[in-house]
Amino acid sequence: MADRIDEDAPPIELRGVSKRFPTSGGGHLVVLDDVSLTMPRGQTTAVIGPSGTGKSVLLKHIVGLLRPDAGEVRVFGVDMARASEAMVYTVRRRIGMLFQDGALFDSLSTGDNIAFPLDRHRPELSTRQKRERVEQVLEMVELPGLYDRPTAALSGGQRKRVGLARAIVMEPEVVLFDEPNSGLDPMTSDAIDQLIVGMKEKLHITFVVISHDIVGTLNVADRICMLYGGKVVASGTTAEVTHSDHPMVRRFLGRNLVLPEPGDPGVATLPHIG
Amino acid sequence: MSWLATLGRFAGFCFDLARANTFRMPPPGRTMEEAYRIGVQSLPVLLLISVFVGTNLSLQGYAAFTPLGGQRLVGMFVALAGVRELAPIIAATMVAAKAGTEMASQIAVMRTREQVDALEVMAINPLWWLVTPRLLAIVLVMPALTVVAIFTTIASSWLVATAQLGLNGTEFLDFVRTSIDAKDLLACELKGMIFGVVICLVSCFCGFTSAKGPEGVGQATNSAVVIASVSCVTLNFLLSQVLYG
Repeated sequence: MADRIDEDAPPIELRGVSKRFPTSGGGHLVVLDDVSLTMPRGQTTAVIGPSGTGKSVLLKHIVGLLRPDAGEVRVFGVDMARASEAMVYTVRRRIGMLFQDGALFDSLSTGDNIAFPLDRHRPELSTRQKRERVEQVLEMVELPGLYDRPTAALSGGQRKRVGLARAIVMEPEVVLFDEPNSGLDPMTSDAIDQLIVGMKEKLHITFVVISHDIVGTLNVADRICMLYGGKVVASGTTAEVTHSDHPMVRRFLGRNLVLPEPGDPGVATLPHIG
Repeated sequence: MSWLATLGRFAGFCFDLARANTFRMPPPGRTMEEAYRIGVQSLPVLLLISVFVGTNLSLQGYAAFTPLGGQRLVGMFVALAGVRELAPIIAATMVAAKAGTEMASQIAVMRTREQVDALEVMAINPLWWLVTPRLLAIVLVMPALTVVAIFTTIASSWLVATAQLGLNGTEFLDFVRTSIDAKDLLACELKGMIFGVVICLVSCFCGFTSAKGPEGVGQATNSAVVIASVSCVTLNFLLSQVLYG
């Protein structure tokens, strides 16, 4: 089963995943401790938690960049740590990922960056078809006409959008977002959140968002998983988690947020100041 | 013990590279692009260094042989020292200094900016995409750069020998011609190719294993040029032992 895609399996499933890293003092730092989590198809799952709680490490396990010390990470039913390299690459073709800074290639133009996975994996497409597809996704991320712009000339927010365009250009079934709001001003951050919500409505695919931006997370997520000290301290629908009595969840979310009621998909807001 | 661990990681890197290229063509178009870049980057500094190595070989040969009445042997000295030994190592150190450092720093920056991870996530093997074209390119370019180093060294030493030291130019070239043969040139080309492989593998390995951040990039660049140069000089001695010992 490790080496075969199971279309009926949840897109992402973690079972008892543990990971520790050696420290300079000769000890070990436990980053993930027996984490079990299922991310349902077609929903947006946000993984939240303070810095250093293993959120990005969790994301790297999902795409197979890291292997767990114990437990399994299954993506479309494939055990990413034990599957062959060819199968891991097959699974990755069904995943798009937005990196923190976009991870754009500086030597390529904006359009060529987005076309990069198409050039490698869709040789049957003509140059014109690829350009059309790139322009289509540029429209989706609200950056029309930027095909030829050098990536060095893009702002932080534009880099994120171009990174997102590259993540979706192959029409993946899962898109992972690593801190989509980090380093952005509140307005640009809000625009990125709106973009994620809009994408979700248009594409109906599975999103996983790693973030510590609470307001943004509550606005985009269907489900929330909170990590603390490498463990899952709360997991469920957005309303369930925001009304959790767990002290760390309460402390992290902040008591002053205006939270949606259980079953209400309403928008979380910060209180009016002044 | 840390050097032993590093050596083990380097062996693992080479194994992974070989595996990434098994039954797979290199990335199309990238090899010539890299070959052009390595060649163009290294050529000016290689020409400059070769010119002055040639001039100094003539001066030193003349100074050494004149008291013995053998100043006519300057051509032979230039051929043996310059062509057999110095030209391949000059080409190697210049390529390590220019192209090798660029390879290490470029890959280290890509690692820092998560571009290497991005390649993985886009289902593209980073070793195949980043190292293979550079390796093929350097194997193509190094012999050519070695030939350039050989001819530039001979030409500049001939110029100093004739114009400054007053030696007979034809006689100088005759000594050069009779002191080296096709086997020597082939040995130079072989050395050039081997040095190229070493420079590329060491530089890319330093880039791939660098710590993230500006300090990591600096350390990777520094390690690449030092390790590649020392490895080439050491290998040069071993190869000369095998070929001429």
